[in-house]
Amino acid sequence: MTSIEINELTKRYGAVPAVEGLSFSVAPGRVTGFLGPNGSGKSTTMRLVLGLDRPTSGNALIGGRPYVSYPEPMRRVGALLDATAAHPARTAHQHLLTLALSNRIPERRIGEVLARTGLETAARRRVHTFSLGMRQRLGIAAALLGDPPVLMLDEPGNGLDPEGIAWIRELLRRLAAEGRAVLVSSHQMGETARFADHLVVLGRGRLLADASLEEFVAEHAGAGEEPSLERAYLRLTEEATTYRAKGA
Amino acid sequence: MSATQSVMRPLAPVLRSEWAKIRSVRALQAALLALLLGSTGISLLACGLYDGPGGAAEDFEPVLRSFYGLPFGQIAAVCFGVLVVTSEYSHGGVRLSLAAVPRRGLLLLGKLAVTGGLALTAGLFTGLVSVGGGQALLGEHGTDLAAPGALRAALGCGLYLMLLTLLAAGTAVLVRGPVAALGILVPLLFLLAPVVGTESQVIQFLPDQAGQQILHPQPDGTLGAWTGLAVMAGWAALAVGAGGTALQRRDA
Repeated sequence: MTSIEINELTKRYGAVPAVEGLSFSVAPGRVTGFLGPNGSGKSTTMRLVLGLDRPTSGNALIGGRPYVSYPEPMRRVGALLDATAAHPARTAHQHLLTLALSNRIPERRIGEVLARTGLETAARRRVHTFSLGMRQRLGIAAALLGDPPVLMLDEPGNGLDPEGIAWIRELLRRLAAEGRAVLVSSHQMGETARFADHLVVLGRGRLLADASLEEFVAEHAGAGEEPSLERAYLRLTEEATTYRAKGA
Repeated sequence: MSATQSVMRPLAPVLRSEWAKIRSVRALQAALLALLLGSTGISLLACGLYDGPGGAAEDFEPVLRSFYGLPFGQIAAVCFGVLVVTSEYSHGGVRLSLAAVPRRGLLLLGKLAVTGGLALTAGLFTGLVSVGGGQALLGEHGTDLAAPGALRAALGCGLYLMLLTLLAAGTAVLVRGPVAALGILVPLLFLLAPVVGTESQVIQFLPDQAGQQILHPQPDGTLGAWTGLAVMAGWAALAVGAGGTALQRRDA
């Protein structure tokens, strides 16, 4: 059973702290919703886990080791950071092939993950013809390529149509049921309440909450109102929101 | 495990992946094809159309005539080296690559080995066909690959275009964008020498000026054929070293 452990992680860009003294873990067998306002440090945390950015202090470990220490890391962690990162001139199949070859992943996996993400018929189409929703599916296919025990998806629901949103909800549930550790960031509170077992909430780079969905909603529900994740979340992050329109 | 095995085992999948990347982007294939055909075609044309020295005694060097079209190959080599790198940086693809291969030195080594290998292959073809074919087309004015310095020039052309491509790729890793990379490379390679004049001692140490000595059967500058190429290799190593150091240090 592999999990993600974040230990006293701090990242500053110059003097600006993006993540400050962050500690939490992502356990296998459940979906952990990763919440927080824009700029609260969710994407930074994911980049630090993957070794793309270097922490100022602290560390992030996968199964007790840094991500960069694995010789074939896509077999450990599947990540979707940015659905637009696939080269537009490549076909979906070519894109996945470049990734599979680098980690000695057998080519038959390409067909399997394309089937699992509903892209079989688009395998030979170039990425520049893809909608955002299809790019998200391709990004998820890439994350699943190495059949990893840990998945880390940054807003995978963006751009998906209603059918796609229902599909990803079921996919996340199934991946957790298969025993994988699944960390998913999202701004869709209604959706998150339907797929997450556990929540980690950030505000201005700091940990605001680390609790099960039920505990979180019960704890932050206001008196005399219907308890919902959205209300609980907004109440908690009220003080920690960096970007907000005035007078709304 | 021998030293070779300890490098090759992790490197082999990176080489396959980098080769698949180049194979699947048409712009990269076009740049490579331009490198292959551009200078060869123009050189052969120039040799075929040559009708002897006009008027007064001309200082005609037949082997050099075979590289008449080389400037086109140079531009293609620079574009190929820059594009291989910046096609990955331009839309965040480098994060995907680094997540797949987090050992950054290994990723860069794989990318440069494939890129340099392709440029060397195309460059050797260019050199051998340009000199071999060009001399045949020159007829009575020409010589052949067995002439002194002719084979050296043909093989040197391959090494020259490989080093030029690596210089371009290293610079592109350092600055990440195609505009900034060409902003450095175009003045360095194509503008400084014509503006300042090739008589200047300093100009002879510029990468292209130094490297092109190997194309002359009798180099007449300060640098010889192989020392000139070594100076150019130094430039390429400097660019690759600077790019590699930046890649290791900065956040992706």
